[in-house]
Amino acid sequence: MNVTENLKSYLKDKLTLDDLLPTKLPVYLNSVAYLFGVFSLCSLFILIITGLTMAIFGPLWYHVSGTGKLFNSFHYWAVQLLFLFMLLHLATKYFLGAFRDGRWKTWMVGALILGASIFTAFTGYLSAANWSAQWHAVEAKDAMNAMGIGGFFFTTNYTQVLSLHVAFFPAAVGLLVVIHILFIRHEGPVKPYPLRGGKTK
Amino acid sequence: MSRTSDEYLRDVPMKSYDLVREGLIALAFVAVLVVALALIFKSPNAPTIRGEDVAKNHPLDYLKTSTDFLTGESALESYGPPYNESRENVQKVLGLAPANILGVTKLIEAQKDFVLGPLERVAILNKDVASALTVWKAAKEEQQKAWTKAYSEALDKAEEASGEVKVAAGDYGPVPVMMFGMLALGRAGLLEGALSVSDTLPYTLDNTKAMLFFQEGPDSDFAESVDMLGNQWGITHEVGNLPGPWWLWPYAIWYQIPPLNESPNADAIVGSLMLLFFLLLLFAPFIPVIKHIPRWIPIYRIIWRDWYAKQEGRSGK
Repeated sequence: MNVTENLKSYLKDKLTLDDLLPTKLPVYLNSVAYLFGVFSLCSLFILIITGLTMAIFGPLWYHVSGTGKLFNSFHYWAVQLLFLFMLLHLATKYFLGAFRDGRWKTWMVGALILGASIFTAFTGYLSAANWSAQWHAVEAKDAMNAMGIGGFFFTTNYTQVLSLHVAFFPAAVGLLVVIHILFIRHEGPVKPYPLRGGKTK
Repeated sequence: MSRTSDEYLRDVPMKSYDLVREGLIALAFVAVLVVALALIFKSPNAPTIRGEDVAKNHPLDYLKTSTDFLTGESALESYGPPYNESRENVQKVLGLAPANILGVTKLIEAQKDFVLGPLERVAILNKDVASALTVWKAAKEEQQKAWTKAYSEALDKAEEASGEVKVAAGDYGPVPVMMFGMLALGRAGLLEGALSVSDTLPYTLDNTKAMLFFQEGPDSDFAESVDMLGNQWGITHEVGNLPGPWWLWPYAIWYQIPPLNESPNADAIVGSLMLLFFLLLLFAPFIPVIKHIPRWIPIYRIIWRDWYAKQEGRSGK
């Protein structure tokens, strides 16, 4: 078995330009409900750009500098919008039964993105180095300890929390989002529930 | 489209689509929204509570907190893993205690780490504190407990005026000098440093002890005043009117409902419930009732109304 040959063949089939840059879509994609996914992606893009900027200049910058505080506000509102759009995306996809016709992988990766995003945002709130971060850190440690993960994840350890927020969790979210989009593009949007005698079956 | 999707959509009419153009328009829309919200509302950034603030503005609270740790009977002493071997308060769910799996991974000896250790540093600068520490160390444990008990009771009746604390005279041994040594440390802005100093590194890489010091007293009191306790939907709140992590309400709600709002195992039970709900979400495509709900509640009829109108028109002809 030639692993390289198999990988090449798999990628040729799954990673085509037609998948990544489609120029036609089925006509039933005709609702704002289909925009929540792309809005989530745009919010994530803004989060990455503002987050990278804040990471370059460091935590003190976004507390004392006017520009830093502004970027902190961009980052904060992008998180708020990300969760708004992501939950609307989740709700609409659920009520469209978008996991049908073998699309369970796309659904499951989406659920993992939500979970990873919650932890990314949580470590972000703890990294803010303000009163909320201080209080949430000491409160949340009880939940982490009770679940057994407090033995290695210390919400009160600022350097660990910041590292998780700027490296580990965003990398996990980014990787999962890429997989999610590749699944979507490869499989195409799920068809509407079929009609049976004027009613859906 | 790809070979897979072409095959899937073979009998479906298609329309032309410009993904890049739509993406750029969406990005511009979200970016404008973010910039506008940030400029109008800014972001919540209430300042932290530091040892220096408490020592200067609430010295009585500071002394009570320090004395509580000195007694060796603070809540932290019986917390359990990951801080110590105590098991009396370890949370359980279905008879299991997940905290015990990894056990003690960040040892904290509250009396030594929070009071006696920092006072050893103060003693280098202050002879009175050095003498008081010598007396404390030479005393038997029973005597130490008698002093701290008497001093704690005196603090409960003490008065605070103009940033100073007046404690009634009594037999407290070296405790008042030690506690005012702690207060001086706080007023100098050195408490967090003394709590977080590393034995080997010139950096403060872990501020756990400094974070835990005021949790039960000043931090908790302030949190209650701004509705941020667990039974006040705390984790979903921010100070002021701006939204916090509102998406955590499915988690926070359990802390408002009996019997969980008073359960000593609330964190373990709620954490397990969240894990269960996440698994239900993850495996929704395979769970019989959950996967059929979208068909029973015809929201899809609204979203795909144009498609169904055409389909019904065609079948009606």
